[in-house]
This record gives sequence, structure tokens and C-alpha cells, in this order.
Amino acid sequence: MVTGSLFGIAFDALRTNRLRSGLTLLGVIIGVTSVMTIISALEGLTGSIEREIEQMGPSTFMIGTLLTAMSEQEALDKFKRKPLDYEAVQIIEDGCEVCDKVAPRAARGEDLKYRDQSMYDIVVVGATYHHVEIYDLEVDQGRFHSYEDDLYRRRVAFIGAGVYEKLYEGLDPLGKDIWVGNQKYTVIGVAKKKGSVFGASQDEFVYVPFDSFRRQFGISRRGLYISVKARSVDQLQEAMDEVRVLLRSQRHVPFDQPDDFDMLTAESLLTMLNSLTKILRFGLVGISSISLVVGGIVVMNIMMVSVTERTREIGIRKSVGAKRRHILTQFLFEAVILTLSGGIVGIVAGFLIASALVGMLNVQMNPSALAITAGLTVSTGTGLVFGIYPALKAARLDPIKALSYE
Amino acid sequence: MSLIETKNLWKTYEMGAEQVHALRGVTITIEKGEYVAIMGPSGSGKSTLMNLIGCLDTPSQGEYWLNSRKVSQMNDDELANIRNREIGFVFQTFNLLPRATALHNVELPLIYNGTSAQDRHAKAMRALEKVDLGDRVTHKPSELSGGQRQRVAMARALVNDPSLLLADEPTGNLDSKTSVEIMKLLDELHRQGNTIIIVTHEKDIAQHAHRVLSILDGEIAEDTTIPQEQRNGVH
Ligand SMILES: Nc1ncnc2c1ncn2[C@@H]1O[C@H](COP(=O)(O)OP(=O)(O)OP(=O)(O)O)[C@@H](O)[C@H]1O
Ligand SMILES: [Mg+2]
Repeated sequence: MVTGSLFGIAFDALRTNRLRSGLTLLGVIIGVTSVMTIISALEGLTGSIEREIEQMGPSTFMIGTLLTAMSEQEALDKFKRKPLDYEAVQIIEDGCEVCDKVAPRAARGEDLKYRDQSMYDIVVVGATYHHVEIYDLEVDQGRFHSYEDDLYRRRVAFIGAGVYEKLYEGLDPLGKDIWVGNQKYTVIGVAKKKGSVFGASQDEFVYVPFDSFRRQFGISRRGLYISVKARSVDQLQEAMDEVRVLLRSQRHVPFDQPDDFDMLTAESLLTMLNSLTKILRFGLVGISSISLVVGGIVVMNIMMVSVTERTREIGIRKSVGAKRRHILTQFLFEAVILTLSGGIVGIVAGFLIASALVGMLNVQMNPSALAITAGLTVSTGTGLVFGIYPALKAARLDPIKALSYE
Repeated sequence: MSLIETKNLWKTYEMGAEQVHALRGVTITIEKGEYVAIMGPSGSGKSTLMNLIGCLDTPSQGEYWLNSRKVSQMNDDELANIRNREIGFVFQTFNLLPRATALHNVELPLIYNGTSAQDRHAKAMRALEKVDLGDRVTHKPSELSGGQRQRVAMARALVNDPSLLLADEPTGNLDSKTSVEIMKLLDELHRQGNTIIIVTHEKDIAQHAHRVLSILDGEIAEDTTIPQEQRNGVH
């Protein structure tokens, strides 16, 4: 009952001082806006990367000489490793009992050309027909290459939606020529559009049969990536162990030395991603909370001014029976209403900025419940933390002194 | 027991190294239904005594019972309760909330004892009608005359049916005609059974009361009863 009235009193006081209340809020608004935008952007970014990773499927793992590096030095060391070669693919195919599919993959940048349309330095991937069975690469038109295409080293190409849009705008691409480097291929399929992550299109690529790739380019110094699909998720670990033994013996790794290749599962990628974004999140939220602290100090300052200005009012309230806690609550309410409305404005602004970023960077934004809850909690907290001192000061005023304050 | 009993009240202010004794051992007794005026030169301690009686302040020494309850040792919250329920205080400077309407100003004491909005409104309206301001309830203090402001303050003092009405120079800021109106109202409230204590400089005003306490340098110098025939106003 009393609390409700105190809320009304606090609200009225702010309303009569609208301009000042608004200005006071700027800091809080900016703080909450940046927290909101950052959380939304991070959630959106990790969301799109997660979807990318999940295309790999839970029973698949990837082998390469440089898949992860936690430091520059580590990357340089791994760069010097002996590349994976085609023999490794055959050894795994022959020797791994619980492996279902083994898909080698090699990639390089090449220029593409169709009539007078060209694209430069586009990723060309040599992959076997297994690739579509392991990765969830969606076909929009035509088909991915088949066992026969691999077997007969046919010069056929499966192109990304971005390549299709650039080279064959308005045409039926199937059966058309495409120059990949200095070789002519025939387009047999187009992938479904994926969009882009941080401005980088995910649709500019060409897949050709693995052996056609080998015939044209050989195998680069960077070597191969091999994707292996275990028979089931339960046998993933067993498959990885078998492959490890096979590769170590093929590459003559002494028993007391660590692997000279990396193995990665979708799960371990996700774990890495999470630890990365956690650091990012703490760092960025930490930075943006500085503006919240500044905002909070502004609120505290204005509340101090308000308490001083309204000393007589406080004296009057006390003289008719307001207790300390009534005055305390009234001023805390004021501070919290202030910061909370700043928080709400900040959340809306953060949402708008996040949506604008979607347009600009093509990042999927998630103004999630987490971000909204964080925004509301943080702004209420700011009000409480920075409002408590002025409110206590008001509550402790001596009625006589307050009444005779000029 | 009497409504008010004080025993050897002292109020001392520390002014740097110096001590100012605003009250030096005030012992008084006031019964329910009395109409008392406190007189004395400026700086003699009248307001200090009123503030102690009104529980706005606590004595440095001595004891004070109000309605048989020992007030002199109460904590802040208990004092706030007494101020809210037992005491109506009228000040020389009105002390109204400038941005609030007359009605809201009168409702103020009721807010702090949890009276429902509906009851608050009804009681405040009744109090305002009692002081003849039933037609000014939505006016803010700046839209009222001095006398009307003081009547709003009196309505606020009365709204909780206090045992004691205190007025510290209630006519100090008013012209003589308006002062007469306010005194009439006080007389009427006394006639209705309220206990009233009023501080004043003016003999005319003091003569509305039945008893005059004279203060000099923080001590009660005289305690006189005013014979009926010398009283001002209708009794
Ligand atoms: N907060 C204070 N600090 C120091 N001295 C004070 C304080 N309040 C009052 N005094 C002193 O106490 C004495 C009594 O003051 P008080 O206000 O009670 O006088 P008063 O009789 O009401 O005078 P007036 O008729 O002018 O209102 C004065 O000497 C005054 O200076
Ligand atoms: Mg005085």
C-alpha cells in the first residue's frame, strides 16, 4: 500500500523534471545499448558459425595438418608438418574397421570464367562423391558429382549460388561450360544459397571431382583434408583411435612423440568456439559496462542534486510521519525508474542497431531473451547501486534541519 | 496521567567550542483539552520546545511523556509514528509541498500510515471542508492566499485526528485580518475538544488561549491562567 504510493510519488517527481531526467539517462542508454548490441551480435555470429559447424554432423571428424592453433608459434610449427597425402586416404579406407566414409578434400584459389564473365581467386575444392553424404551441403539445381564422375575423372563442376548468380545470371547453368583455371568443366549442379558471415559470402565456391582436381593441379604443398565419418556416433572415438594408429605408422611418428596431424570433431569445434566467444563476451561487455558506470555516476550525481534541492520536501514528509525507509524507498524508486527507462530505451536502440547490422554485415542477429534480461537487470542494478547513497542521504536527514533548509 | 509531561528538559547545541543552551530544564504539564500559548522574546527557546513536544526533535537531557508514553527515548521510526498519528503541526511558513494540490498536501500524512487511496481522499476532503476550503482542493499552494495556505496546513494537521495540535507562530506570516480568521478556526477546533499549543509573539493572539507559558532564556518564567473575561475570541 505505502510502497505503491511511494512509487507514484517518485514517478511524479521525475515527470515534473522531464528534460533533466532524459539527459541523466543518456549514459545509461548508451551503456545498455552497447551491451545489448554486443550480446546480440555475438549470439548471432556464434549462431551462424554453429550452424556451419553442425553441417559436419556429429559422427564425423576432420584430419589435417593445421586445423587448430592457439598461438602464432603453434601455427608456424604446424605449417611445417609433412602434408597429408592421397596414400593416407587409402590407408584409412582399407585399415579402419569402424569408419563408414572417408572423404579427402583439397582446395586452392582459381579464376573462373564463362564467356565474358569472370570471377577471380575463387575456392576450388576437389572432393569425392562422399562429400555430400558427410556434409550437409544442400543441392538447389542439378546434382553433386557421382561415383562415376570420380571414377572417370570427369570434368564436371558443382557451383555455389554466388558463382551461379555472377556467371549465369538469368540462364540455365546446367550443362554450361565453366573455365576453372585453364581447364574447361561442365556445370552439373548448383548449391542452395547460404548467405554470408560478416560480409564474406559463403556461396562462392566450385566443387570438382577429387581426381579431376588432382589431375589438373596435383596436390598442393598444404596437402589434403580428410573427413571421416564413423559408422555411428558411439563409434566416433573408436574410429578416431584407429585412424590415429594408422596415420602415425604411415607417417613414422615415434611412439614417444605427439601426433603430427590434427583431428577435430564438430563437438570439439563447438567447444573451441564457445571458449572463444566467452572471452570475447566478457571483454566486450566489460568495456561497455564502463559507460554504464559512467551513466550510473551521472544518475548518482543528479540524485544528490535532487536530494539537496528537495531537502525541504523531505523535511515536510518527515514532519508528517514519513519514516526513513519511506524516504529511502521513494528515492530508490526514482533512481531505478530512471535507469530502468534508460535500460528499456537502450534495449530498443540496441535491437534497432542490431537489425541495422544485419543489413550491413549480413550477420544473423539474435536480440535474444538473454540480451533483454541482461539489459533490464543491468539497468535496474545500476539504479540500485548508484541510487542507494543519495537515497540513504535523504533518509537520514534530520527533520528540523531539513525543514529550516533554505 | 496528563497528556503532556516534561521533566527537566534540556536542549543544548554544540556550536564549535561553544555550547548554546536553547532549553534549560523545562518542566511542564499540559492536560487534554487545554489551550496553551507559549510566549517569549526571540531566541528564548519557544520553537525548540515546540519541536520537542512535537517529536520533531529529541531532548539533550530530561524526560518527556506524551499520552503516558515515554517519547524522550524513542528511536526515529517510533517518533515518526507519533508525529504521524498523535501530532498535527502547523508552521509559520506553512511547509506545504509546492507542486502538490491542496488535496494531495492534506493526504500526505495518510500516505505514510497505509490508508487506502479511497479513504485518503475522503478524509482529506473532510478535513479541507472543516477549514472551509472544500472549493479549493485542486489548487496548488501558489494559487492560494496566505490564509488559505495556512488553512490547508491546518487541514493536513487535523486529517489524522491527532491528540495534539501544535502551531508555531501560525499567524506570523499573515496580515491581521487573516490572522483573525486563523485564530477563529483554532478557537473552533479547541471548542470541538482538540488540545492546542500555540507559539506567538503577540499578546492578542496569546489571549485566545486559556493559559500562557512565558519563556525566558530557555526557562519557563511564568505560567499564568487567563481569566475567562480577558480571553479573546468566543469560548
Ligand atoms: N540548530 C541550531 N543550532 C544552534 N543553535 C540553535 C539551533 N536552533 C536554535 N538554536 C538556538 O537556540 C536558541 C533558541 O532558538 P529558538 O528557535 O527556539 O528560539 P525562538 O524562541 O523560537 O525564537 P523566535 O521567536 O525568533 O522564533 C536560539 O539562541 C538559537 O540561536
Ligand atoms: Mg521560533
